Amino acid sequence: MSDDSVDDFVIRLGFEAGRPVVTVVGDVDVLTASSLDGVLNALIDGGYREIVADLGGLTGMDARGLGVIAAAARRVNEAAGTLIVRSEPALTRRMLDITRLSNQVAFETSEAHAPDRASKHETGHPVRAVETSTSTRAGSPHTFRRSSTDLIDAALCVVTSLAGATVGNADGASITLERHGRLMTVAASNEAVLTMDRHQYETGEGPCLDAKQQGRHFYIESLAEETRWPKFVPLALGQGIHSILSSPLLTHDQTQGALNIYSATKQAFGADEHGLAALFAEQASEVLTIASDEYTNSGSEERFAAALASRQTIHQAQGAIMALHDVTADQAFASLFQLARAQGITVIAHATEIVALLGPGRQD
Amino acid sequence: MEAINPLEEARRKLNLSVSDIWLRYFAVGGMSTELEIEAVLYGALLASEADRDLLSVALNERFSELGGDHPMPYSTDEDR
Repeated sequence: MSDDSVDDFVIRLGFEAGRPVVTVVGDVDVLTASSLDGVLNALIDGGYREIVADLGGLTGMDARGLGVIAAAARRVNEAAGTLIVRSEPALTRRMLDITRLSNQVAFETSEAHAPDRASKHETGHPVRAVETSTSTRAGSPHTFRRSSTDLIDAALCVVTSLAGATVGNADGASITLERHGRLMTVAASNEAVLTMDRHQYETGEGPCLDAKQQGRHFYIESLAEETRWPKFVPLALGQGIHSILSSPLLTHDQTQGALNIYSATKQAFGADEHGLAALFAEQASEVLTIASDEYTNSGSEERFAAALASRQTIHQAQGAIMALHDVTADQAFASLFQLARAQGITVIAHATEIVALLGPGRQD
Repeated sequence: MEAINPLEEARRKLNLSVSDIWLRYFAVGGMSTELEIEAVLYGALLASEADRDLLSVALNERFSELGGDHPMPYSTDEDR
């Protein structure tokens, strides 16, 4: 519970010879798995049939993480493609073996596991860096601390960066959400996009606001000929923007915000781009739906956070038992609940004891 | 009255809401949604062995907090 501040989780997207490479660094668990899931699904939906998941920088992976890999492998296989798992350390390889996932994915080995190799994946058509609007947030664009809101924002950043990179002619993408009664940009590809969003909030008009308010898609082909939004359009043209796609983000039929894609090209977007924008908006909506369900179901954010902390402790204890006794995750969990019962204490208390015995210096 | 699932019986005895038990189940590592767990409790969905154990743990956690022992059985209890 006390160590979440040191656990950073990063997803990087790059392309090598036209093949998307998803590099994961840190722990894949219930908190971070949905981001990975979002990226893999976006790539599969985007039509990629050969996807590399570079797990070399993983420090741990729980059942949920494996589930994400399994689901992605299944979907790619169904589409006659391949999920390639690269440079997995012994632990990941072993966990994949235990779950028999190794039959469904192809393996590649890469030279190094060191984090500094990441830059090499960013050749070709790198995904543009995503910056969150909160300027106080430290760390690299896709790095985030484990807290529920940050997790959601990180997942949205990933969707935004994919949208900005995948939609043809796009010069950037952003996600606007209503939070605490006001509109804000929670993810943006670059400063210019952020400014475009801000122009709309400040003038109180624009496709982003209308997409959010009316719950429908806005496809602006040429801003120069646009007669709606007389205050916003000149500002946008002044920024050199000519085309905009704004798609509503919905959770349970309620609009929460919009996904915006901007381009400096006139008539930048055709039917394909409209389709892709809708697809990314759907994915961002899914992230928001999951997040809102988790909150309402659990009653309060604090209780949910406490439950997540317990899970983390249980997973750590489970991992320790697996490593010490060479057993599967299920067997490790069984040993936890049997010993807790024998000692007449709760499973969480027992797991906490085990984690405490390991000392503060976890191996990652 | 119809026979009810022992898990559901324990939930009622402990006076836990479905949300409460789902959160406890989630806290010990469960991965099914609240709706799925609700369906399991009401007998509309057959839970996997792992999920039944997790639900038993969730209930036993509450029994244990109240000073009791762990009355809910686990799949590992009998040799099968």
